[in-house]
Amino acid sequence: MAEYASYALILFALGAYVVLDGYDLGIGILGLFDRNDERRKEYTELVATAWDANESWIILAGVTLWAALPGIYATVLPGVYLPLVVMLLAFVLRGLGLEMQSSAPGYRRGWGRLFGVSSLVVTLCQGLVVGTVLSGLPQHGGVFDGGALRWLTPYSGLCALGVTALYLLAGAAWLQAKTEGSARRRAGRLGRPLLALTVAACLVLGFGLEVADPQHFRFDQPLRAVLFGLLVAASAGCGALAWYGFGREPDARPFIAVLCAQVAGLLALVTATAPVVVPPGLTVHAAASPVGSQVFLLIGIGCCMPVVLAYNIYAWWVFRGKYRPPTPTALAVPAKRVEVHIDLTVSHIVVKETGLWTVARRVGFTLLGLGMLAVAQDVFGGQGEWIAPVALVLFSAGSLTAWLVGDRRAAAAGQFEIDRAARR
Amino acid sequence: MASPATVELSRWQFAITAIFHMTFPALTVGLSILLAVAYTAYLRTRNPLYLQMFRFWRKIFAVGFGLGVVAGTVMTFEFGLNWGSYAHAVGPVLGVTIGMEVITAFFLEAGFIGIMLYGEGRVRPRTMAFASWMVAFGTLLSTTWILSANSWMQDPAGYTEVAGQFQARDWWQVLFNPAFAYRFPHMLLAVLISAAWFVGGIAAWYLVRQRSLAFARRTLSIALGVLALLMPVQLYVGDETAAFMGQHQPAKLQAFEGNWKTDNNGYNLVVVPDPGRGKDDLRIEIPHLGAVIGKDLTGQAHVPGLLQTPPDQRPNMWSAFYGFRAMYFTALTMFAMAFAGLVLRLRGRLFTARRFHRLMVWMTPAGLIAITGGWITAETGRQPWVVYGKIRTSDAVSQLSTAEAALSLAGFVAVYAVLVAVWVRYIVRVVKAGPEVLDVTTLLEATHG
Repeated sequence: MAEYASYALILFALGAYVVLDGYDLGIGILGLFDRNDERRKEYTELVATAWDANESWIILAGVTLWAALPGIYATVLPGVYLPLVVMLLAFVLRGLGLEMQSSAPGYRRGWGRLFGVSSLVVTLCQGLVVGTVLSGLPQHGGVFDGGALRWLTPYSGLCALGVTALYLLAGAAWLQAKTEGSARRRAGRLGRPLLALTVAACLVLGFGLEVADPQHFRFDQPLRAVLFGLLVAASAGCGALAWYGFGREPDARPFIAVLCAQVAGLLALVTATAPVVVPPGLTVHAAASPVGSQVFLLIGIGCCMPVVLAYNIYAWWVFRGKYRPPTPTALAVPAKRVEVHIDLTVSHIVVKETGLWTVARRVGFTLLGLGMLAVAQDVFGGQGEWIAPVALVLFSAGSLTAWLVGDRRAAAAGQFEIDRAARR
Repeated sequence: MASPATVELSRWQFAITAIFHMTFPALTVGLSILLAVAYTAYLRTRNPLYLQMFRFWRKIFAVGFGLGVVAGTVMTFEFGLNWGSYAHAVGPVLGVTIGMEVITAFFLEAGFIGIMLYGEGRVRPRTMAFASWMVAFGTLLSTTWILSANSWMQDPAGYTEVAGQFQARDWWQVLFNPAFAYRFPHMLLAVLISAAWFVGGIAAWYLVRQRSLAFARRTLSIALGVLALLMPVQLYVGDETAAFMGQHQPAKLQAFEGNWKTDNNGYNLVVVPDPGRGKDDLRIEIPHLGAVIGKDLTGQAHVPGLLQTPPDQRPNMWSAFYGFRAMYFTALTMFAMAFAGLVLRLRGRLFTARRFHRLMVWMTPAGLIAITGGWITAETGRQPWVVYGKIRTSDAVSQLSTAEAALSLAGFVAVYAVLVAVWVRYIVRVVKAGPEVLDVTTLLEATHG
């Protein structure tokens, strides 16, 4: 039972990833085909507020897979080594392009292109991985033994194209929901062709699965067959709603419809294949962790998940509605006048020094420093365990006092005032 | 079995990706706390200086955090990609630990960073401060879990082994394993210290150039305050950690002290080890100091040598020794500088000592160097084990062809080299551009009409 709960958790994280990062990967690719820099900058900003959180879901999916079904994690990852490594490299470059873009004032074409191309590469690689896993990984006793190019099949290639179409669709739907003006119109126009492409890809891949995948689907079980039928129907219904919604108010409808279609589609796929996770024969049971680990993981994640969802929804709510760049006046938070008290008793008193005094001071401080160093290295630990901790506490108290007093003096002398410092 | 070449390539790849990843948290943990403090100070005092600080360091934090996230994603998958047998064996223990890290820490940071970076003008200032604290809290939590997982590999506890797979017997012991008690405070201090040098060095550069003076003074004062407080503590914690490792992983201590025979009471500064013959070709030492550091004030005790460990369980002395020296010598320099800063503060010259500021600029990457050296010691000193005493690194690797491992290694080296260059150039540009100039008079007029 625990392994099904874990499997559900992994699927939830994976589903959240596909739904959330899917749209921002799609937007990244769409940016490649847009020639207007203003719109492209807007796309990047849309992604920049959310991509950290979106990408976290694939990390959660990966890690829960490792913790709960280590048999699968250890078999699948080496089996799709090259596409996965390329995907990770593209992730890195994508993050780079995005962050450099969003920290630059205008639109930088180079970073924009890097962001777009690496989004495309990530998407294609994910498609290849999904295709390879669906069409089966030969394994022997939990160890993959299919060769380095196992992932290069016509089916996985098609799957890469299908995933690209799906992400583009999600991206267009998100853009319709979040933008205004020409960007929204473009997204509305693109939606239907992309939807048609996605449906075509799903049909080809769905029927092709029989051929590519050596496993036997057990549709003779009535419950499974009925559930599968219902989910496919729900997915198709949502697809139809998205078709109707593109280019029409309310703008959020296509994305919600696409989201529901994705979820229903994923569930349909799982219904068809469970308990097999990786064809031909790797099942949930065979790959699972000991029950104790799963229960610990499920309780830990189960307790955190409501909180995680709550603040993710909050973060999403902060950036709700149409994208608007923050106005400069909103950014300039009003400041209160800072009253400056100049304390005459602590102003600088320069003491005339003699050479001897300087030498003595330097020697003294050097000895103090070396002594503190020796104490911190616990050289006197043989004499008494207490020496080092006590000396450290005393020294720390002294340096903390020096810090606070020094800060107060500097503040009183106006050394931390922007306008005063500028005038000087 | 995977070929020895695959093992070597996978090790190099992991080392490069891990070191690369490490440099980002090494800055962002401390920076996130600085940001939260600065914004809170701004809310309380309304002194525009703190807003200026917040916005400036946020620019560097944003890109560093983003790169840290993607580099961390790589790490998450690498366990399974290159180290499949290891992943299968420890998944029920470490997979869970890292899973908890992702759900508690990673999401917390990722959820709130959007607000912290882009929320100004969209949410109330109070919410901004809350988001900043949550990001900081997330980075601290993350450090905790990761150190727990790595410490378990150094000194596994609370487990049973069933059919080649580890299972937790007692989660408390797994998470708070004995090594964690030493290594977590050591690492936590290290990341705070390295961030302090980073911001302190940059602030000192402004003082050298006589630019943005208020900003530079405020930042330098905070950085040196933190350093004077933490550096001695860190030396003590580090010493305790080394002593603990001497007990639990004797081979690591033997390797990083650079002795073969147990007949040396000196402290080695430079060694050229010859593992084949089991002796050093060259050794430069300070006599008796090794014994003194080992708490023997008479200076006679001998530092244990690597010949005590059977040959098939010896780590590489080169990496352990020089990793440790890089960390330790940098730490001594850092301590000296922090102490000098304290003296200057006592004498009221912290903001005018030009020579000190110039030296401070050179200290900007000091913390990163020390952390890298320390991790090289910790990880290569644990070899030939991946889980100490339990799984050998050579048995941990996936069934990959050498070509696959070589290709991916080349890919990571190429991409990360570009990334380092871009990151450094970005920091330099941001620093040269300087903190944005807040027009205080217009701000005041806006409030007072």
